Amino acid sequence: MAIGLAHSLMTLPSDPFADASDEALLVAYANGDRQAAAHLTARLLPRVLGQATRMLAHAAEAEDVAQDAMMRLWKIAPVWRQGEAQVSTWLYRVVANLCTDRLRKRGRAMPLDQVAEPMDGAPSALAGMQTQMRMTALSDALSQLPERQAQAVSLRHLEGLANPEIAQIMDISVRSVESLTARGKRALANVLAGRKAELGYDDDEPE
Amino acid sequence: MMMTNPNDDMLDDLFATARAGARTPGDDLTARVLADAQTEQDNFAPLSRAKPPSLWFMMKDALGGWPALSGLAAAMVAGVWIGVAPPNAVQDLTAGLLGDEVSVGLMPLSYGFETGAFIDG
Repeated sequence: MAIGLAHSLMTLPSDPFADASDEALLVAYANGDRQAAAHLTARLLPRVLGQATRMLAHAAEAEDVAQDAMMRLWKIAPVWRQGEAQVSTWLYRVVANLCTDRLRKRGRAMPLDQVAEPMDGAPSALAGMQTQMRMTALSDALSQLPERQAQAVSLRHLEGLANPEIAQIMDISVRSVESLTARGKRALANVLAGRKAELGYDDDEPE
Repeated sequence: MMMTNPNDDMLDDLFATARAGARTPGDDLTARVLADAQTEQDNFAPLSRAKPPSLWFMMKDALGGWPALSGLAAAMVAGVWIGVAPPNAVQDLTAGLLGDEVSVGLMPLSYGFETGAFIDG
């Protein structure tokens, strides 16, 4: 079932949407096209989930945020104003906002069971646990930052976006992005400074 | 700033690790998202996919609705009746305006056919 659904998403027969923009698909969806949602989901959900996972470092929470973000996309489809913003830009903003909302509500201490969920592709259980611990620490540190700093830092350093794109997503100037990321990164380093040993950055050897 | 460098290294490593961690959406998440999409689409589809209004509806609307239509119908009945049994006043009027015999030329005279302007030499 799991493989079957993913497979059917990948190989929709005689794909008339292959070259369509995200926006065109969204309009088709709003007009009642039944296949458009499947195409949009196949295109956008992986990145949405990835962004949420990197910011939250928690599988279930990230899935909730991803579903929520996609729900907002479905809801805005009928009133989407064409040509104003790219769908991907809009989604980056929605996911970033949803994640900082979650981070704000998150307490300092993460429940233990969350540490036990290894990320996909972990080389081994032990390394996976350390990676998960580090990602959780990073996410927790992000939660200590002012929201705009956390968003700017995550878009810059976790998503690897360029400053002009971040400026568009956050609707601020490039100069403000530079300032937010610089301050945010410094704050992040300060928050994490006390956890170096715990996270395995104690010794001189890499990793 | 010697003190911040090690922290920056740690941060850069954490960032790189985070960027490397990709997750493929599981099938249950995909199914949930698609179910949401379907539900939402069903909510707004009747509005955006409503059938275009009929010609009759558009004409009625353009003329001004039912009150206008009733007036139009009355005028039409009156017109038919006047055609079938014209009152004397109408007959006199049309005769006065048009003459008893009316001939209508299909070709305007001013084109010059009469004067021979198009006949060479």
